Amino acid sequence: MTRLLRYLLVPFFFSALCAHAEPYLAVQMGLKCGQCHVNPTGGGERTAFGNAFAQTQLAATRLDTGSDVWTGQVMRFLSIGGDVRFDGTYSQVPHSPSTDDFELQQGRVYLSADVIPERFFVYVDEQVAPGGALNREAYGVYWSANHDWYIKAGQMYLPFGLRLQDQNAFVQQVSGINMSTPDQGVEFGFEHGNWDAQLAATNGTSGGPEVDHGKQYSAQLQYVLSRWRFGVAGNFNDAAIGRKSIGGLFAGLRTGPISWLGEVDVVDDHSTPTQSGRQLATLLEANWRIAQGHNLKLTDEYLDPNRSVSNDAQTRYSLVYEMTPIQYLQIRTGFRWFDGIPQAPSEHLKTGFIELHGFF
Amino acid sequence: MSPLGYALVACSLAAAIAGCAGNGMGLDANGNPITPGGGSTESLTADFKSIQDNVLTPICTKCHIGASAPEGLQLDQTHSYAMLVGVPSAEQPGVMRVDPGNPDSSYLVLKLQGSSGINGARMPLGGPYLPQSTIDVIRQWISSGAANSTNATGTATAKAVPHFSVTASSPDRDSIAVTVPSIVVSFSADIDPNLINGTTVSLERLAPMAGADMSADDPMDATEPMGPMASMPMTAMPAAPASTAVAVTLAVPRGDGSALLITPRAPLANGTYRITLRASLADMNARALGSDYTFKFTVEAP
Repeated sequence: MTRLLRYLLVPFFFSALCAHAEPYLAVQMGLKCGQCHVNPTGGGERTAFGNAFAQTQLAATRLDTGSDVWTGQVMRFLSIGGDVRFDGTYSQVPHSPSTDDFELQQGRVYLSADVIPERFFVYVDEQVAPGGALNREAYGVYWSANHDWYIKAGQMYLPFGLRLQDQNAFVQQVSGINMSTPDQGVEFGFEHGNWDAQLAATNGTSGGPEVDHGKQYSAQLQYVLSRWRFGVAGNFNDAAIGRKSIGGLFAGLRTGPISWLGEVDVVDDHSTPTQSGRQLATLLEANWRIAQGHNLKLTDEYLDPNRSVSNDAQTRYSLVYEMTPIQYLQIRTGFRWFDGIPQAPSEHLKTGFIELHGFF
Repeated sequence: MSPLGYALVACSLAAAIAGCAGNGMGLDANGNPITPGGGSTESLTADFKSIQDNVLTPICTKCHIGASAPEGLQLDQTHSYAMLVGVPSAEQPGVMRVDPGNPDSSYLVLKLQGSSGINGARMPLGGPYLPQSTIDVIRQWISSGAANSTNATGTATAKAVPHFSVTASSPDRDSIAVTVPSIVVSFSADIDPNLINGTTVSLERLAPMAGADMSADDPMDATEPMGPMASMPMTAMPAAPASTAVAVTLAVPRGDGSALLITPRAPLANGTYRITLRASLADMNARALGSDYTFKFTVEAP
């Protein structure tokens, strides 16, 4: 083992805690998202710590690369990362022909420049495939001297609840806050001991042009311990077409080899002329770490798209197996079942997929 | 496990399994309560109302609705037409979301097909993607001119309320002003700001017409031979003066949702200008102007 790799692995031996790309890994290891991601609220480029975790803890087998150990650092002040997801998907909707296709879901490149080490960095998340380049995040972050608060400004994902990889989860769908809807504004973050909190003020247009004076405010408060965590989140979008407010509770718990995630969101939306009203979305997810490099994910989701209308609820169940045979390569395969009102075929989707996920 | 941990799991479990899928009793295919005369589930045809009812509402509005609609694109039946047809896409402003008559250059079609030229992901996000037969119907609608068939029948939420219209403007119609730092248009109700863009609101400078300065003080030369055109009214020649677009910023003033502020990015030079408000502009109750509204004013600094 090289000196560098040994250096990177020291934290694991002493803390036995670490986190990676998905919130279940953070819960499994009992750390905050910012431990493994450059972004304090998670997602995107991995830190040197996150890269070490990917090589030593996430993968079933680590291919020996000798003295060449990837840490993300390409220059003293510059680091890069990326994600590529390639899917083969089979989908079936009642009364429609089934479809099966291969698709490059996304290729992303992350770049961060530590222009003032430990104090100020500039970060860019660019989706480079499929199709033309599309900027997802671009911001600067200024950290206080003792890293207990920061200010972020630019285009960013909003802090709200669990930042799941599954962008179509009900809790992400009804809130409209996910990793495909960045917004432009500023975020203030606070980190102290087991607590962390964020408050963001943004345009509230999900990447679209600003059309009014109203702004969107997102706030999140989280308490993180090694075995469990609990958080509350709120969002208020003061849009001219109507106000939308969201309240959420989210939690994580580790019970032996199983990591649990839960989130409950209530949406009060008056910005939709035809569907104004309260919505409820819940998520319960169990991640069973069968062995190192092997994870079985079971997810149960519930959506009530309008609390004032009866008989319109929807459910979504997922069974996903994730295998990480070697560092930086993951294979995911699974099924998802949707159930809803009988007269809406699109609410009865059944889909199976296999995904090749390369990351660095 | 700590008691708090058990409580968390129990709460999450209870929330997650609180209910099963609805049985749909009393609801239409989009999950809305059936109202008298509503709830029809006709098959997909190449008209906008059918596309709205069969594709946009049940599939696209799962995300593209309300204040948090991705890219600001709302595809509910109130906003969809005005936000699609003739409107530049947010991801590629040089391409119209729906370019009437040209499905191959309509970004909506490109996104649904997952064409190589798009930015971002194919839609619907994460699939399942629309069958080619459905996309072909949308293509056919665009090829046929992308007409708005919902105007004829009215939307399901349209209410019997007064007409939405322009009530005043400053400068006033055909007025002459020394300077015009901005133009204010007042409406009979709060305007939907999401429909305000460079396509629905425009300011043009009209090129001076030959003889435009003619007046009683500057009569035509009576000795000049009169050709066949001379007997025609002056307003008929030429049919439409050439014009150049003027860059503006558009905003709804804070505290007055029924006004539209049009501010030229550079001071207006002397000349005649025309404001055009497209028929698709609507108020917060989805009542559209119904027809294009235009007026002219002149800047004449000493």
